[in-house]
Amino acid sequence: MSIRVPLLVGAVILIAGLTLSMLLTDYHLRLLNLAALSAIAVIGLNFAFGYAGLISLGHAAFVGAGAYGVALLTTLFAWSPWLALPAAVAGTAVLAMLIGVPLLRLKGHYLALATLGFNVSFSIVAANWIEVTGGTNGISRIPELQIAGHALTDERSYLWFALLVLAVSAAVAALIHGSRHGRAMIAVRDDETASSMTGIDVPRVKLAAFVLSSVYAAVAGGLFAFHMRFISPEDFGYAHSITYLAMLVVGGEGSIVGAILGALLVTFLPEWLRFLGSAYLAFFGLFVLAILIFLPSGLAGIRRPRSFRRHGLMKWPALVAASKEARP
Amino acid sequence: MSLLQATEIAKRYGGLAALADVDLSVGEAEFVAVIGPNGAGKSTLLNVLTGLALPDKGRALLDGWDMTRAATHKRVRGGLGRTFQHGRPFERLSVLENVMTGAAIQSGRSELELRERAMAVLDQMGLAAEAQLPIGSLSYGHRRMVEMCRALACEPRVLLLDEPAAGLNSAEVDQLVDRLTDLRTKHRIAIVLIEHNMGMVMRLAERIIVLNFGCKIAEGTPSEIQSDPAVLSAYLGEGYRHAGV
Repeated sequence: MSIRVPLLVGAVILIAGLTLSMLLTDYHLRLLNLAALSAIAVIGLNFAFGYAGLISLGHAAFVGAGAYGVALLTTLFAWSPWLALPAAVAGTAVLAMLIGVPLLRLKGHYLALATLGFNVSFSIVAANWIEVTGGTNGISRIPELQIAGHALTDERSYLWFALLVLAVSAAVAALIHGSRHGRAMIAVRDDETASSMTGIDVPRVKLAAFVLSSVYAAVAGGLFAFHMRFISPEDFGYAHSITYLAMLVVGGEGSIVGAILGALLVTFLPEWLRFLGSAYLAFFGLFVLAILIFLPSGLAGIRRPRSFRRHGLMKWPALVAASKEARP
Repeated sequence: MSLLQATEIAKRYGGLAALADVDLSVGEAEFVAVIGPNGAGKSTLLNVLTGLALPDKGRALLDGWDMTRAATHKRVRGGLGRTFQHGRPFERLSVLENVMTGAAIQSGRSELELRERAMAVLDQMGLAAEAQLPIGSLSYGHRRMVEMCRALACEPRVLLLDEPAAGLNSAEVDQLVDRLTDLRTKHRIAIVLIEHNMGMVMRLAERIIVLNFGCKIAEGTPSEIQSDPAVLSAYLGEGYRHAGV
């Protein structure tokens, strides 16, 4: 793939986000911030699940590892936030490698259960190792990020920063997708035996996808900690892992644009449907079900049929036809 | 010294001896066919050679390297290629991308180089026009050709083909025969062919190995095999010689 696609993806994110940041209220900017950070995590999950087919229900634990990493390094050891972030990301990558080596020997539902167990363990440790993590009280007084003396304390300036990171993350992901490494991950999901018969080291590719997904999760977690400036175990429970998975499925697994769309939609949907009250969860369940039945390749799958993709512009009838074609 | 050498390979599945002390040797650019009735152990032999199944006994050498217990991808990097019985291309990649995964066998190649190498292989096998298509839009015969292109992009010295002609029409079989002949003569690739299409086997093979119930019952040139009484009764049938295939 040429360098144009990643650049385009990044540019669209920045332009759309900057325009929105001028129009929205503070509350909606906050939601947009959370959506942008979730999008970074979901782009990461897309490597493991969307490309390599590893069902991970422990993604929120890696987000948490990144968040607790920066929180501890900045509050306990008074590190600079700019130093704490890469250190926390690197630490999370090592953690993912250590648990990935034994866990990735499992397949399908067994892997899903094992990663879920990892996430539950993470929550238990975070809630009970009080001397370090502060238990359920969490960690507060996390310092704010500063760029050239300007503190990123208000929602708007933080959003600009988050969008920049999202744009870079998406562009890097698009580059990997179009490289031999991306193709190897997709090949492994399609057919492990045929992959090894093509000279692909299957366990290594799986581990790489898993670690890469944890790196994106840790970046999102670190930025979440600097944004909220307070974290607690409930931000990283297994329910959040399921939400990340839902974002990816709704947006379109295997698609970077889909990961971003899914993160946006699933973040804003509860706001738009607040009038439903506690019936929202029932609606959300039906919504995901409807996506799985009518758009199995997610929102991004609307443009999937190649004849439409090539011509760019799409008319409404074509959209309907495409959604029909996408049905199994 | 032969390029691929398997000695006394034995493999049991439960009480069934899928392979019992089978020997196989393939020289450089040699064309060897393995034939036999269904269940004779032909695919098991390929699985053992490619590391998808480990043998209970015996050794397999690739150009002197003992690969008996080596991981599959290492054997491929060592020069072993294989296609599967029903064709297993990567469905979510385009034709070109499928072949590019094979070309990535050597690390350090640029994307451009991978693309050029893959296009060269597709061109050679007559699939260049379909390079950008998704796998799902190809005919069965072409899907199988894509898989062969992917294996060739790995630059094998020995290519193991599991019933490549199954499901192809007679024109496609003729084309396949020409391409396999080219691979051997122009590219010096040794080929081990498992096939039920006897016309194709007799046209291509220099040497034929016949398996039955996991045992090698005969080995020889096509004309020797066609007149071997054990082969006629186990597989080809008594009428084969007179049918003049």
